[in-house]
Amino acid sequence: MELHIVGTNAITYPAMHVWDWRVASYLFLGGLSGGLMIMSAVNYIRPKNGQNADTLNAWKIPVLIPILLTIGLIFLNLDLERKLHAFWFYLTFKPVSPMSWGAWIVLIIYPLLIAYALAALPDNITRTIKYPTIRNWADALKPHLLKLAKVNIIAGVLLAIYTGILLSSLVARPLWNSPILPVLFLTSGMSTGAALMIILAKTKEMKLFFTKIDIWLIMAELLILVLMFYGHYVGDAVHQQAIAPFFSTSHEFFPYFLSIVVLGICLPLAVVLKFLEVTGEHTEELTTSSLLMMNFSALLVLVGGAVIRFALVYAGQLSGYSSYL
Amino acid sequence: MPRYVMVIDQSRCIGCMSCVVACKRENDVPPEQYRTRVVEMVRGEFPRLRTEMRSELCNHCDDPPCVHICPTGASHQEKDGTVQIDRRKCVGCKACITACPYDVRYINEEHGYADKCSFCQHRLKEGKEPACVATCVGRSRIFGDLDDPNSEVSQLLRENSWRVLKPEVGTKPHVYYINQFPRKS
Repeated sequence: MELHIVGTNAITYPAMHVWDWRVASYLFLGGLSGGLMIMSAVNYIRPKNGQNADTLNAWKIPVLIPILLTIGLIFLNLDLERKLHAFWFYLTFKPVSPMSWGAWIVLIIYPLLIAYALAALPDNITRTIKYPTIRNWADALKPHLLKLAKVNIIAGVLLAIYTGILLSSLVARPLWNSPILPVLFLTSGMSTGAALMIILAKTKEMKLFFTKIDIWLIMAELLILVLMFYGHYVGDAVHQQAIAPFFSTSHEFFPYFLSIVVLGICLPLAVVLKFLEVTGEHTEELTTSSLLMMNFSALLVLVGGAVIRFALVYAGQLSGYSSYL
Repeated sequence: MPRYVMVIDQSRCIGCMSCVVACKRENDVPPEQYRTRVVEMVRGEFPRLRTEMRSELCNHCDDPPCVHICPTGASHQEKDGTVQIDRRKCVGCKACITACPYDVRYINEEHGYADKCSFCQHRLKEGKEPACVATCVGRSRIFGDLDDPNSEVSQLLRENSWRVLKPEVGTKPHVYYINQFPRKS
């Protein structure tokens, strides 16, 4: 069969690339922020067995989350073709539009993140704040840190999952149109959040705690990833075609094939390294080689999380119903 | 209130592309961008080939995914069933482009808003047909009110075998195709 297309629109047909690295970066940073919100809250809420679990360092994470989310939103804003019209997001609420939900979720999450960051600031840092209003707010919020942490878990889940819901709601893109995609994004977001907690943590106890959590999250992520591809494989022709780029070695689809190879190496390798970390014996203070291994395995998880977002954003736009008229 | 639909009689299309040109001129569509297109699909094995000419445009769906996904309400459905874009509200997020199973939307490269066929809404308000319909030399494109049983579109759909594009996505399109190759009885 031969197909000629005449008078077509080069942007929308037959290949459509309207969302690029800026959206993929936002999805990654949004998921990472959501994951960090959950993991940082878990760190505050969990029983510490009498230990002061890294309180000297833990406050940096609630401060980091709004910074990461802001960078992600800057990327998202860069993707908007009419940036000055962005205020329309907040003059409308569309209950059936996941993107409208996302805009409002971000608006609600920001004050929560600021309150959480202020509440988490230790006294010695609060005292250095020049502005008395902010200092007073930090002092007033400090007793509510645990409550804020609990709310952050819910908000973090919403933030990490909604990006997946947004993509999965698009019936026109068969690769995204899967109910398991939001679960994948949530798991991946939590896993990358745990990985960053491991990198930023100073104490052995905190590093090992999040390493244990991350092992389960990566294994769940791998299982969900396999199930997502399986779901498409046993689906109809458009869904089978949607995953074809990932299993094609042709020049055109090489980046997608490479992404599967990278994921197939990074995530299992991270699980093995983390397993060695938690089962190995450690001295009172972590040795340089242990630290390197922990940070390296956490870095693998972060790379895996980014690869998932980039590969799915680009490959999803290759998938469609155009060839099946 | 009318319910506007377009019927495309594929057997009458000669692939002259005058609809594409008329649309671009009428709606000031930027170069390299199109609101409508004519897909020429050749099927079969040489020398037993047959060509399908298929005009494609916004299907003004009854259940439009572009309207559902639009976060600002810029993409909306009018009472006459057409799907329109309020350019003032469009932020250029491109969600509607990814949501459209027919790949008929684009970002207007000169102004940044999402754009597509409007069934020439400005002409409808003046009681005229869309530009592509008015210019179609083979009368392949027919436009009218489906709620009027005496309209040409209603009669054509009653008397002919027709299909819509991608019915499996559940969008309930308002562009109907009278089959180019009806089964011989």
